[in-house]
Amino acid sequence: MTMPMGEGAVTAAAPAEAWADEREPAQKPEEPSLSAGEWLSRNLFSSAVNSVLTVVFTLLVLLAVRGLLNFTFSEERTWRAVKTNMRFLFTHAYPQEQYVRIWVCVGAIAVLSGLSIGLLAKTGRGISLKKLSMNLMGSGALIALGILLREPSAVVGDEGAVLHRDAAGAAGDSFVGWLDANALTVLGVLVLANVALAGWFHLQGTYLQGGPGPRVAHGVLVLASIGVLIVEQYAAGEVVREPFSEAMSDRAWWWLAAALLAGAGAAAWFGLGDSRRRNTFVPAMHVFFVVAGMAVLSGWVYPWGHYAFLEGEFISEPGSTVAMTTKLPWTVMWILLVGAYMLGRSLRTARAGPRLRLPLNLLWLLTPFVLYWAVLRDPDLDWDHVLTTDIPMALFFAAFGGLAIWFLAHPRVGEAGRIMAVVLVGVAALNWVAAFFGWYPMLQKARISFLLLAVIALLAHNFAGDRTQRMRLVAAWVALMAVFHWLVTLVNSPSTVKTPTDALVGGFSITLIVSTFTLLLAFPMGVLLALARTSKLPIFRVLSTVYIEVFRGVPLITLLFFFNVIFNLFLPQNMSLVDIAGATVGFALFSAAYLAENIRGGLQAVRRGQYEASDAVGFTTVQRTLFIVLPQALRVSIPPLVGQVIATFKETSLLAVVGIFDFLFIADKVISAQSEFLGVKREGLLFVSFIYWIFAYNMSKHSQRLEKRLGVGER
Amino acid sequence: MSVSDATTALTEELAARDDMIVCEGLNKWFGDFQALDQITAVIKEREVVVVLGPSGSGKSTWIRCINRLEVHQEGRILVDGVELTNDLRNIEKIRSEVGMVFQQFNLFPHLTVLDNITLAPIWVRKKPKAEAEELARSLLERVGIPEQAEKYPGQLSGGQQQRVAIARALAMEPRIMLFDEPTSALDPEMIKEVLDVMKELALSGMTMMVVTHEMGFAREVADRVIFMEDGQIVETGTPEHFFTNPQEERTKLFLSQIL
Ligand SMILES: Nc1ncnc2c1ncn2[C@@H]1O[C@H](COP(=O)(O)OP(=O)(O)OP(=O)(O)O)[C@@H](O)[C@H]1O
Ligand SMILES: [Mg+2]
Repeated sequence: MTMPMGEGAVTAAAPAEAWADEREPAQKPEEPSLSAGEWLSRNLFSSAVNSVLTVVFTLLVLLAVRGLLNFTFSEERTWRAVKTNMRFLFTHAYPQEQYVRIWVCVGAIAVLSGLSIGLLAKTGRGISLKKLSMNLMGSGALIALGILLREPSAVVGDEGAVLHRDAAGAAGDSFVGWLDANALTVLGVLVLANVALAGWFHLQGTYLQGGPGPRVAHGVLVLASIGVLIVEQYAAGEVVREPFSEAMSDRAWWWLAAALLAGAGAAAWFGLGDSRRRNTFVPAMHVFFVVAGMAVLSGWVYPWGHYAFLEGEFISEPGSTVAMTTKLPWTVMWILLVGAYMLGRSLRTARAGPRLRLPLNLLWLLTPFVLYWAVLRDPDLDWDHVLTTDIPMALFFAAFGGLAIWFLAHPRVGEAGRIMAVVLVGVAALNWVAAFFGWYPMLQKARISFLLLAVIALLAHNFAGDRTQRMRLVAAWVALMAVFHWLVTLVNSPSTVKTPTDALVGGFSITLIVSTFTLLLAFPMGVLLALARTSKLPIFRVLSTVYIEVFRGVPLITLLFFFNVIFNLFLPQNMSLVDIAGATVGFALFSAAYLAENIRGGLQAVRRGQYEASDAVGFTTVQRTLFIVLPQALRVSIPPLVGQVIATFKETSLLAVVGIFDFLFIADKVISAQSEFLGVKREGLLFVSFIYWIFAYNMSKHSQRLEKRLGVGER
Repeated sequence: MSVSDATTALTEELAARDDMIVCEGLNKWFGDFQALDQITAVIKEREVVVVLGPSGSGKSTWIRCINRLEVHQEGRILVDGVELTNDLRNIEKIRSEVGMVFQQFNLFPHLTVLDNITLAPIWVRKKPKAEAEELARSLLERVGIPEQAEKYPGQLSGGQQQRVAIARALAMEPRIMLFDEPTSALDPEMIKEVLDVMKELALSGMTMMVVTHEMGFAREVADRVIFMEDGQIVETGTPEHFFTNPQEERTKLFLSQIL
């Protein structure tokens, strides 16, 4: 219902685009675009009921928008609280002199994103100029409407207080005053007139055929209603407000923006013919780059003002441009993003292009670990220990495991392989039992390495093959060992970055970090749980059912408290992880239960024939699951999975209850306790909601695109 | 000599010759319902056997027992001399020698035609990828759709899909092919293209067991016809004998209904 005119037309055009991505459609005969009036009468005023609904809901939406605008731009809002605490909100108390580490993280993500989008993304045709110009005109019109709808500013007296009307001057004498008092009645009358008009034309049976009469009448009535909404503002309430002319000139910058947007849109619209503007396409990414580029550029030229909270000092310089420590890094980020994108585009056509897919995806997987443990934490490595213990041990496992896998992946290894795998599983199990009873000391990472090797040994025959295939398996093992031992070493080293809180960063960073690690943990767990729950072995079924039901039955907050307290008790001596590790584990265990149920739904959607066909060609259960069942099941469960991801992302706001300085906590409790901004909460909360919304919305958009793309060849 | 000794002796003796499939006293129940009742039959190398029978007579159940998609409860099945038991190694071995084509095609919808065909040779037969692709392309050529390799199953017609399914089964280089009503889900104009592929396969000397309602195919291609009803084999014979001079009343009734 919030759909402005432009949006509606866009959705109407969408289905044709949805499948044009993949195959060449037969050339559709050209249909000329409808004129605006025609479009309106067909889509919004097609019948009496529809036109009444359109009118009523338009007015409701306008009322809501007016409320939001008045709240956001009111003189009572202290937006300075948000501007000043921007860094606080995003990273909390990460030390200023180390801040470059944050930018390295953002930069790494920018580069990876640019590369991935350039190299892998199916861009389709992009946005048509018609859609683009309609969006431009639409946003111009929206801004203009916003300017008009917003309450005029209150007049502030010499002493800085808002002026109030005296009782005598209050409403009643002028037309505007009368309107203020009777606005609701007038609106009601206008709406009723609308309904009556629609009904009358409907009874005549000539609503659409009856010429422009009803449309014009409706238009006049709707415009009159909007006019009432606007004019009434200038007399509303107790305070003295600036007059219309001043309000409009105050908002000159906004008028300029609206005019520029609408002008650019109109130029594109009228400059091109109907068929050219429909058939010229601009890649969506380029539009995004331009918009982002203009935002970054505005940091250099527009006086946004310089606000900061540095070393206990509040800085407030309204007229200046943004601080160098903000505009310079963002400019670099923009350049990195665009540069990586262009690199990706040029690699896409190169011969090596397709081969870069896998490494790039693996890099994404590795990135969160590297950014958190290596970049943000800057570990203080104990080189003696590294050289005498860590590296030799990693080498040993790489070599020993590599040899074992080389042997086990031979296609005809047969019985010997099974025996060897069982022996490895036995050793791995013994190591853990020994740890429990304290029979012999062993580094935890050696135990885990053994366990990994045992699991891979059990599975190896499923992936056996020729020499190249075996080399690939061995290489994967060596890489896994290198990364694993390196990461464990990093985790075991103390951090050199000193922050006042236990966690390195806070605010939005902690939201991102916790949700990323939660999903990295929970997703594989969820898949395993779902498989176990549908497995033929009763023990797996029972265990997984019990797990899922228990974790779905316990409130998340309980889990958070619990893991916050007990997590460190499970760790080996002399090792303790920060609070967020416990919280992350709690989150992961919780989401795994939900993800498992979603994936189970997907598993059930895989037809029986798929299992039979896999069995008939001789796949083992593992191969059938990995190559045939899971890909289909996961594809079906994308919508609920993304729903769960978004839920997890938002649920991280519960971190506040275990005393972690998360995004919401800073907005709600920290800022409102600062001496400058005592009790200022609403601005922060609004801002936090906005940022959460942007991310959640993008995830859901992205999932829709993913679904569409993976839907290829679906019957 | 006890009964089971006798059957062992019989099957061993049979298996020594050029018998590809030996079924000996098969019984199978779904709950209380007996779907297979004392099925005994031998299919020789290079033989093409068509199985006929009314709906619900147990044709699918029997053919699916042969590659262990269904588990029989009594009796023995030997495929190329290997007995089907609970031993996984035997099941793996038999499945890699027996190709199966389903009524509903059962192609893997998330994979391209080429991947559908090469996946099993690569992972089950441990073939190098390039070799598997070469084989896949030559098989697609053989079933007459070399140009569809990069498409997804959902983008093909029913007849094309079934031919891909045949190519997928052939890619495992099986010694036996099982067909369970391969043309029943197809429109009439597509049936012929699939039957032509099957005929060509039969002429090339493949051992085939085919459940079908295509009497023309049975007459023209089959070496032998087996007629089933209520889980039992009622009559067996060459096509001429079977269609012109059936012995059993039930067979005559069936033929009078469908011809
Ligand atoms: N999974 C099952 N559970 C219970 N009963 C089954 C099952 N599969 C088959 N049956 C029953 O076994 C009998 C034989 O079924 P089968 O599918 O072998 O028949 P068919 O000869 O292939 O018939 P059609 O020509 O219709 O395919 C039928 O009565 C059927 O209802
Ligand atoms: Mg059947």
